[in-house]
Amino acid sequence: MSDTPGDVRGQVRAYIEENFLYLRPDLELKDSDELMALGLLDSLGFVELVEEVQNRFGLEIQDVDITEQNFGSIDAIVRYVEGKGAAAA
Amino acid sequence: MTARTIGDQLRASAAAAPEKVAVLAEGRPLAYSELDEAADRLASGLAERGVARGDRVVLALPNGADMCVAVYGVARAGAAFVPVNPTMKAAKLGDVLDRAAPVAVICDEERAPVAAEAAGSQIEPPIVAGVSELSSAGTLPSPPLDSDLAAVMFTSGSTGEPKGVMLAHLNVAFATDSIVEYLELGADDRVLSLLPLSFGYGLSQLFTCVRAGATLVLEAGLGFVGRLVRILEEERITGLPAVPTVFQVLTALKGLADRELPDLRFVTNAGAGLSTPAVDAVRRTFPGARLYSMYGQTECTRVCYLPPDQLDARPASVGVAIPGTEAWVEGPDGTPAAPGETGQLMVRGSHVMQGYWGDPEGTAAKLRPGRWPWERVLATGDLFRTDDEGYLYFVSRTDDIIKSRGEKVAPREVEEVLYGVAGVVEAAVVGVPDRLLGQAVHAHVVLEDGAKTDPESLKRYCAERLEDYMVPQRVVIQEALPRTPNGKLDRRALAVPAALR
Repeated sequence: MSDTPGDVRGQVRAYIEENFLYLRPDLELKDSDELMALGLLDSLGFVELVEEVQNRFGLEIQDVDITEQNFGSIDAIVRYVEGKGAAAA
Repeated sequence: MTARTIGDQLRASAAAAPEKVAVLAEGRPLAYSELDEAADRLASGLAERGVARGDRVVLALPNGADMCVAVYGVARAGAAFVPVNPTMKAAKLGDVLDRAAPVAVICDEERAPVAAEAAGSQIEPPIVAGVSELSSAGTLPSPPLDSDLAAVMFTSGSTGEPKGVMLAHLNVAFATDSIVEYLELGADDRVLSLLPLSFGYGLSQLFTCVRAGATLVLEAGLGFVGRLVRILEEERITGLPAVPTVFQVLTALKGLADRELPDLRFVTNAGAGLSTPAVDAVRRTFPGARLYSMYGQTECTRVCYLPPDQLDARPASVGVAIPGTEAWVEGPDGTPAAPGETGQLMVRGSHVMQGYWGDPEGTAAKLRPGRWPWERVLATGDLFRTDDEGYLYFVSRTDDIIKSRGEKVAPREVEEVLYGVAGVVEAAVVGVPDRLLGQAVHAHVVLEDGAKTDPESLKRYCAERLEDYMVPQRVVIQEALPRTPNGKLDRRALAVPAALR
């Protein structure tokens, strides 16, 4: 399958909605919202998310890369994944 | 300086090295002298508000400097602190307030609305305020004795009704000294703790570090693990206490094993047992650190630890009784069991609790007459065995408590919430082995015909009423629940791992 940047955003959002957003039906999640500060994902949630991102986009993610800057929001994740060149995978 | 009480322990370390950093939280260092003085101010302020010896003060605070100050301040006021999980919801906090009848709830701004709601339901509402609001530069109240009540720690029992473990200063101070001794904790240590201070294992990190004059680096949780890896390196962390969930995450991280971490000299595990593959993974990830496999109960803080030099010979063991105590396996006839024979783990020593708050029957079941007329020994309720050399092995819990993320989940407590949903006729909550959680919480629910609910709404309903770690990861709607031949709910049949996602 050929990923376009739009697909990265769509896939990340779909994953988060499916696995975490159901607990907060009232929440309108914006791509810039801080996922941990909102209480949407806890640290375990992020580990699951990072695993998912690794598998889905064929990335190798280093321990120190799992930061707020790289995974803090949907925007951040999209930036990070695209920066890693996953769209070409 | 003798240190008979928790407050004395802080006083001694502050006198020895006032400028040294006691706690580093949210990037801000708190020196021993600052912690000491802040605790005095809180103790004075509480006394001015009429808080007296033996009164309870609930602490609803996340990991941070305020929580540390609150623990020592309340203790110095001669009152007993009652720490609660900072994610606790108003209804459950209300139950704790009903039971503990505290004079005050100390919280931060974020938790103030929840605390106020819970307090408002009380006949005699406790004061709800923050640490700084309650602090004052007045005179210090007279310090408690070591036989005075230091803490009431609410912990889930087999019935699901939380039990308030009463610990006297003697119990806490003794356990602290014993743990400092076997970990060989010293003033040069820098311990990184992500465990909630409301949890016995987390709280003991504060007590042991302060006792040893060490530095405690506090994080609110595992958070973004990249941050944790950086803290390990940059703060030259020497000790890392964790639970299997945290180790699972750390050992799965790429690159961590290649980092040198030359300062890290020990890691500890408690809260739930590490499997043998998990022990191997921890040792591969932290090759320069000694791993202490430990077992504890809130009822006595810590029971036993495996000396790291025994890890190769018996990786599944949780070792021997902590210094100054005894632990043994009791057979069905009440005499010590033979090696290899399974029986209840019994504990004696000055770390054993004074009983359960307001629950003489529960206390009598857990504290049995001991060797001396004045002594009571702790019946842990957990099944153990020993090997031929007397090392202890955990076998199972005697009840159905689920251990998820290192926290205890009482099935009945979750089931009772599910029974609150219209249309739920039967609910059974079980623990299912899970790679990350230790055990995952699964709920099986039978609905009446035409009931208007589904698994997602049921999860949401639980999430609104329970602490995060108690919310089922999965809710399954069933036609009927499996029964044993004599008609009892067959929890074992439900606990078979189901295919996930």
